[in-house]
Amino acid sequence: MIHPSELISAYLDGELHGPELAQLVDHLGGCGRCSAELEEMQRVRAAVRSLPIVEMPPGVVPEADPVLVPLRSHKGMWAGVAAAVVAAVIAVAAIVTPEPGSLTVDELNSRFGARASLDPAFGPAKVVVPPMVGE
Amino acid sequence: MESIPLTWEEVARVYGRKIYNFAYRLTGDPDDAHDLVQEVLLRVRRGLANYQPGSFEGWLWRITRNAFLDDVRRRQRRPTAPLPDEVDRWDRASTESVDVEYARISLGDDIQKALLELPMDFREAVVLCDVVGLSYEEIAQAVAVPIGTVRSRIHRGRKMLKELLA
Repeated sequence: MIHPSELISAYLDGELHGPELAQLVDHLGGCGRCSAELEEMQRVRAAVRSLPIVEMPPGVVPEADPVLVPLRSHKGMWAGVAAAVVAAVIAVAAIVTPEPGSLTVDELNSRFGARASLDPAFGPAKVVVPPMVGE
Repeated sequence: MESIPLTWEEVARVYGRKIYNFAYRLTGDPDDAHDLVQEVLLRVRRGLANYQPGSFEGWLWRITRNAFLDDVRRRQRRPTAPLPDEVDRWDRASTESVDVEYARISLGDDIQKALLELPMDFREAVVLCDVVGLSYEEIAQAVAVPIGTVRSRIHRGRKMLKELLA
């Protein structure tokens, strides 16, 4: 039996499509070895993704401009300032319509940040292992 | 067609933390990660003027990866002791915040050590996928290899990690 081992990580990452996806799902239904490898790879993948975010020491990048940068990390006394700035940004955004086709920093942030593990919501894939056949 | 952030400062704010984490997980060293972020930002600043609209993230991560590899090659040619101004960059942060940060980093010590045991090609692919969050296509653009190679490197990297963490 040929074991399509290298398809397993792509499957976990949602990077497998079409005939390859069907082939692997079909194979997993009857192969204990590959099903076990799938579970192992899922654990390793989750472990790497659980690595904590490392915060940069001050001064590595230019000081944040509060009008352009989301302020979710600001705490304490800065929370009030942040709220005021957010309110101001919302007010300005309601007046100013962005140029069609342009990509703003906020859009980049949400588009890129949504899938990255630097986002707390970025968890391991939920994978359903098909039931074994004949095992 | 995709527009790009207007200035390198904006690139720094949006991507600086991700570049820092990429470098930190690849090297395990905060000073190396610090240096890499600044080198990448310098290259972005120089390169933005000639940027051709396309995949901005592919462009940025290609620059990041090339800067990292250049640094590795430079170190291999010229091993050096730390310069005086590199002795303790964490001086700029408070003692308390360093302690907190160290405790947070230590949570992943075993995994970080295992990552550092991987050959660079595999480590890079796993970090770009699982730490930075790039798609296979974006990794292929950044590393300049076919998607099949990315797929293979990620899977083989994870298999090696499994053995190292056992």
